[in-house]
Amino acid sequence: MITAQIVVSGALMGLVYALVAYGFQLTYATSKSINFGQGELVMLSAFFSLTLLDWGVPYWLMVPGGLLFGVLLGLFVERAAVRLALEQKSEGWILLTIIVGLLGFSAAENIWGRDDRPFPTPISSDALHIFGVSITPVEISVAIGVFALMGLIELFKRKTLLGKAFEAVSADREAAELMGISATRTVMLSYGLSGLVAAMAGILVSPITTVGPTMASALILKAFSVAVVAGLDSGFGVVIVGIFLGSLESLTSFYIGSGWREAPGLILLILALAARPNGVFGKAGIRKV
Amino acid sequence: MMYMLKVENLYAGYGSSEVLTGVSLEVAQGRVVALIGANGAGKTTTMRAISGMLKPRRGRVLLDGEPVQGKDASRIAGLGLAHAPEGRRVFGPLSVEDNLLLGAYGRLPLFWGYRGRAARDLDKIYVLFPVLHERRLQSAGTLSGGEQQMLAIGRALMAGPKVMLLDEPSMGLAPVIVQEVFATIRNLKAAGITLLLVEQFARSALEVADYAYVMERGRIVAEGVPDELYRDERVLAAYLG
Ligand SMILES: Nc1ncnc2c1ncn2[C@@H]1O[C@H](COP(=O)(O)OP(=O)(O)O)[C@@H](O)[C@H]1O
Ligand SMILES: [Mg+2]
Repeated sequence: MITAQIVVSGALMGLVYALVAYGFQLTYATSKSINFGQGELVMLSAFFSLTLLDWGVPYWLMVPGGLLFGVLLGLFVERAAVRLALEQKSEGWILLTIIVGLLGFSAAENIWGRDDRPFPTPISSDALHIFGVSITPVEISVAIGVFALMGLIELFKRKTLLGKAFEAVSADREAAELMGISATRTVMLSYGLSGLVAAMAGILVSPITTVGPTMASALILKAFSVAVVAGLDSGFGVVIVGIFLGSLESLTSFYIGSGWREAPGLILLILALAARPNGVFGKAGIRKV
Repeated sequence: MMYMLKVENLYAGYGSSEVLTGVSLEVAQGRVVALIGANGAGKTTTMRAISGMLKPRRGRVLLDGEPVQGKDASRIAGLGLAHAPEGRRVFGPLSVEDNLLLGAYGRLPLFWGYRGRAARDLDKIYVLFPVLHERRLQSAGTLSGGEQQMLAIGRALMAGPKVMLLDEPSMGLAPVIVQEVFATIRNLKAAGITLLLVEQFARSALEVADYAYVMERGRIVAEGVPDELYRDERVLAAYLG
């Protein structure tokens, strides 16, 4: 039974990895680029949301506020670090997104300090017992939030014409332009959505992990592992890989020792990289950008 | 004479290589104009430079009198130019119907009600290409080459374009399918579509065209109504032999 308990709480964390990995996929689909500062977006959105709460904004109004902030951050990253590099068909976005992330990190330290702070939530942390496994409503809200947001974005992609245009740019950017679809705006849209996803991840995990400048540095590495293993272009695969990695981590941490918690994610990443001799982005990918 | 498309002294190339060196051509409203020439002559490059997939280095492209050279491909498409590119380039993972809807992207609402707004145009395409109706829910990548070409043409028609560019629609297709493609082109002509057509089957292209240009190494080397070109010994020997 204890094993089931460990798997369930690990899997919930895995869903957050999956959500952030999904954000990587969104921008990779339209532009074959990803934001290496995505973890800072998670953290900055969490801090901003916490500040809204500090100002007395009610929780359920804070959520859309925090998400909007994430969208704006995503758009900023696209404008500041990605667009020029893509126009010049260079891979400069790799370094530039890292730099923007570092700037975000310094900004957070200066504005909010280095301490970890608790993130209040009206959702209860009293454990419920379901089939002998104890789970808190906060944890359930993580699962609901992850699936709701991913589901909504997928629905958007499939059911609206703008979403279909997003898919068209992902499939063939040049041909999409011939339909009158602006690839540049679609890439912006994808960065906005990945910012949205990052903010959602921040709001969902903060009550569990607390909020601090380094809150997402481990998270982002694991989300990256999940994205690489699931494939940067393969939809819901991230959910399965995320749940797998999350569970594996908490099992490792319990049975081998908490110091080994980060090991499975790193090993997974190394294996995935070894299995892709062309690198994560693939030769074809970089040429197409 | 009303020119829907007028290309003046166009220069374009890739990197340091100059491919087009002063291409001029005109397509009058409602006419089918063929652009023929050997492989590598620069026909595809001409189309790409017109539609903005490639930025021309010099010269002008007038679409219905308005200069469009240098604009993004998506802008030029929005102004009424539909380019069905070489190799068809349908959106493989999307359904046939979604491909068609995206053809009309510029004039449909982005969120809701786009399907209803496009219904009449979709029906017209399905009358023209019944096979696309049969396969409308299939992903475009599962279609045969001929069907994909029909889809590429249907998608371009969905825009209700002022001018359509059609690059080698018969490329890689079996002879019977090539016949169908040319039947479709005759239908487009009958429907009054203004069309610039690139074809390797020069004879078939000249049969349907009102006017034609012959391209060699990035330049137009001959032009005229098909009958004139048939009388041109050099053209006859090189392309219509
Ligand atoms: N993407 C490209 N990069 C570099 N050179 C190209 C590219 N595409 C075509 N070319 C060159 O431009 C010339 C014209 O090609 P193209 O316009 O495709 O000819 P056509 O369509 O008449 O067969 C050829 O010499 C070809 O090698
Ligand atoms: Mg060609």
